[in-house]
Parts: sequence; C-alpha cells; structure tokens
Amino acid sequence: MSRFITIFVSLAVINNFILVRFLGLCSFFGVSKKLSDALSMGLAVTLVMVVAAVVTWLINHSVLIPFGVEYMNIIIFILVIASLVQMVELYIKRTNMTLYNAFGIYLPLITVNCAVLGITLINASENYSIAESIVAALGGGVGYAIVLIIMSGIREKLELTDPPKSMRGLPVAFLTAMLLGLAFFGFGGMV
Amino acid sequence: MVRFWRELIKGVVISNPVFALVLGLCPTLAVSTSLDNALGMTAGVLFVLLGSNIIISLIRKAVPNIVRIPVFIVVIATFVTVINLLFHAYVPSLYESLGIYLPLIVVNCIVLGRAEAFASKNPISSSIADAIGITIGFALALIIISFFRALLGTGNISVLGRNLFSFPGLTKDPIVLFILPSGAFLVIALLLALFRWTGVMKE
Amino acid sequence: MKLSTSRFYPIILLTIVVFLSVVLIIATNTITQGRIQDQQAQQIQGMLKKMFPDMDKYTLQNEIYTLYATDQARIGYAFLATGKGYGGDISILIGLENETTVKAISIISQSETPGLGDRITGSSFLNQFDGVSIDSVKLKRNGGQIDAITGSTISSSAVVNAVRITALEKVQALSATSK
Repeated sequence: MSRFITIFVSLAVINNFILVRFLGLCSFFGVSKKLSDALSMGLAVTLVMVVAAVVTWLINHSVLIPFGVEYMNIIIFILVIASLVQMVELYIKRTNMTLYNAFGIYLPLITVNCAVLGITLINASENYSIAESIVAALGGGVGYAIVLIIMSGIREKLELTDPPKSMRGLPVAFLTAMLLGLAFFGFGGMV
Repeated sequence: MVRFWRELIKGVVISNPVFALVLGLCPTLAVSTSLDNALGMTAGVLFVLLGSNIIISLIRKAVPNIVRIPVFIVVIATFVTVINLLFHAYVPSLYESLGIYLPLIVVNCIVLGRAEAFASKNPISSSIADAIGITIGFALALIIISFFRALLGTGNISVLGRNLFSFPGLTKDPIVLFILPSGAFLVIALLLALFRWTGVMKE
Repeated sequence: MKLSTSRFYPIILLTIVVFLSVVLIIATNTITQGRIQDQQAQQIQGMLKKMFPDMDKYTLQNEIYTLYATDQARIGYAFLATGKGYGGDISILIGLENETTVKAISIISQSETPGLGDRITGSSFLNQFDGVSIDSVKLKRNGGQIDAITGSTISSSAVVNAVRITALEKVQALSATSK
C-alpha cells in the first residue's frame, strides 16, 4: 500500500507533470484561461491517461515483451492512444451529448498531449505492474488537473490586473507557472 | 531557389516555433538545462522533422484525407524510433540525459504541425527548407534559453565536456533557481517580454 | 476501377505505410542492437574498473559482482543500491574491499535538486566513503564518519543509509552462500 501512495504522491506533486516534467504544456497554456475549461480538460486527460496506461500495459506485457520487440513501443503506444481517443470521442458522442459538448473539443488535443504518451513511456521504463501503472496514471493526471485548475483560477484574476504591455498574456502566465513551480518545490522530500 | 531561402528564413525568425508560435514547449523547457542537451535535442528534431517532411511531401498526393493523420503519425513515430535507437547505440550519455523527451518528439506540436500545415501541401524542396528553417528557429530558442539557465544556474558554460567559460563568483554560489524547473519558466517569460518590448515580435 | 478510388484504398495505403515503417524500424534495430548491448556491458565494466583498477574479470551471482585480479585473487565485491532522495530514487554502485570495509561508491543516476542535492555526485562527498568500515557509514551527527552536504541532509542521508543497509544485507547474503 505504501508503495502505491509513494508513486501517487511522487507523480502528483513532487514530480508534477506540468511544473517539473513540463509534460502537456501546450494545452496547459491554451486551456488554463477559464476555470470551467480547465476542469473539463483535467478530467478528460486523467481519464485518457488511466485508460491508456491499462491498454499499453496489456500490450507491452502480452505482445511487445514476449516477442522481444520493446523497441517498437513508441509507435505502438502513440497509435493506441490515437485510436483510444477516437473511440472515447465516439462513445461519448453516442451516449451523452452534454458530456460531449463539455469534453468534445479537447479530445483531439489529447492525442498529442505529451502527458498521455509520457505516462505510458514512464510506466514502461519503470517496469511498473498493472496496479502501479494505474496509480501512476492517476497520480500524473490528478497532478496535471490540480495545477491546471489552480493556474486557471489565478489567470482569471490576472485578467483584471494591468501588467506592463509587453508582459501581458503569455509572459505573465509563464511567471505565474514559475511561482507555482517554486511552491510545489516545497513538496520535495515527502516520500 | 529564392523560394527555398524564403521558407528557411521564415522558419527561423517570423514564425519561430518557440518564441512566436509558442509550440513544442515540453522539450524546450525540459532539456534546456545544458547546451549539450539543447544540441542533442536539436539533432533529434532535425532528423525527425527533415525525414517526416520529405516523406510526407513525397506521398502527399497519394494520401486520402480520411487516413491523413494516422499516416502522418506513423511516419513521424518511425523516424522517432529510429533516432531513439541510433542515440541509444552511438551517444548513450546523451540518450540517458534526454530521457523520455527524445521519444516525446512524436507528440511535439512542431513536427506534427509542420506535417499538417506545410509538408502535406508543398513540394519536396520547400518542405526541406521549411524543416531546416524551423529546426534552426527551434535550436536558436533552445540555445538561448539553455545558455542563460546554465550560466546563471551553474556558473559554467560547457559544450561537449569542454568548459568554454566560467562566470567568476557564480561558479561557487550559482543562482540555483535558474537550473530548477521553475527557472525555465522564468527565462522564457523574460525573453518573450523582452522580444515584445523591443518590438522584435508582435503580441 | 482505379485503385485510388476504391473503397479499400485508404486501408491498403495505411497498411503499406505501417509495413514499410515496421521494416525500417526492424532494420535499424538489427544494426544497433549489438552496439546497445555492448554498451550496457561496457558501462558496468567501466565503472567497476574505475573503482577497482586492478580488476581483471568479474562474476555476477545473486546481483553481487565478485571481482578478481589477474592472479585470480579476490579483490572485492560490488553491487547496486537504491536510496530514496529528495527528488526520487538515487541509484548507487557500491564497492567493498572485503566483508567489512567499503572500497568506494559512485552515483549511477539521481534526480536531486541541481546545485544542492546533486552535490552527492561530487568527489568531495563521495571520497568520504573510501576505506570506511560499513558500520561507520552514518552521518557524523548520528555517530558516523560522513559529513552531510550543507543544506542537503535528505539527499546525503539517503545515500548513506542506502549504502550501509544494502552493504550489510549483501555481506550477510555472501556469508550465507559461503557456508
């Protein structure tokens, strides 16, 4: 049990996907302008990460490793993620239109989100068991969502401030990320 | 030929992938802790971008729209796997320090973005120019960022194991913040603001 | 009917692309495979050689490397240990002169804070372990012989504890097998 907690905490806060590993940055600055968007994106990414972790683990351990072709993992994993995202999109579209309207536009973005491919590669290189992989994916996703949500809350307030002209928009967002990163740095040494 | 140079320069300055378009941030920020990493990443991106741009430009007329993206992803992932194996075999120390950021070139927005926006619509020669220009632009950004991070964060600038110069005082008491992940955000924030302030780049 | 207008054309094309890609990857792997394996073997051999300059060959049993000089005399043991640092796992190679004394240690990989915790890779920290008896591999404030790095107690004690605990375990395993 303590091993799962260690993995979760380590991926969620200490080695936070956005602030420390810089995974999923493109979507981070794109969708962290509004709190509601950040919430949907965070949930969607976490969901896809967990499903991708399970599927790639199964493929890795039932096909790639037995046949000794682990070096194929990059191409296989990205194809799995791409088709997975497509299936999730279709499924949500058929079953729940409200959910689709909330998530739909983010799903294609998730295919090229480094966080998803990142977690599958981390799981493979750390040789995690299936349970550990799921916990790692959850940790990574939760860490991603937390930072995205905090960031969007701050950026909503930032909209009301009046920074120097050349700092407006992205530069100030990067500075916010820096301060958040320093704050999260304090979590180091927890496990 | 004029067109070749125009595409090349466009990639370096006007549509600099990092500073102007703010694309491909994960590798830019993650590997900018030393110039060696920056150069290694550049080599990786050049190989993948050049390869995928050439192949995609070659087959652009044969690929039907419905399988366009899957075909692009397969092509890009192939080149990434190849460079991954080559780095592992021939420059193991670089392979270690780039870690998962080397395979993550697959999902680098720059590479897929160029395939989709440029190579799939243009002939080979301009696709090559585009790949080279974009890579130079990417390399420039990466080198500038890692220069400041390494200099202020460690006090030393070294390339390929050779120490180019040390900043007196900083070597003993470096400003650790710059080499921390947060330092990457700080440097890119200040650089972007500087470019806008001096008018090199528009908002 | 032209091929490019056929309903199956997209699928056929995708299959061809995937096939070519797999061929290219397998070809690259065949070329690089040997080198990658050599490299890993050489890396360990290089690190052992650096630690034990007299080493001629080694055997690997139960994750313990036993090292021999040219005259077949046993000159020491080496094994890997993992410590829990500030930023994650620290992987350490430990060399023992005999069952009680450390020969040297080296850090294989770590993700400690740059400029602070990552000074565990510096020689001024690592050299303190040379020739110290396993029981004294503790921080000075815990009655041992190792100076912690200022401002990086977690990283320092992670290394120290991993070295002492793993070394004691391995020595026990060695004496169990020799009996």
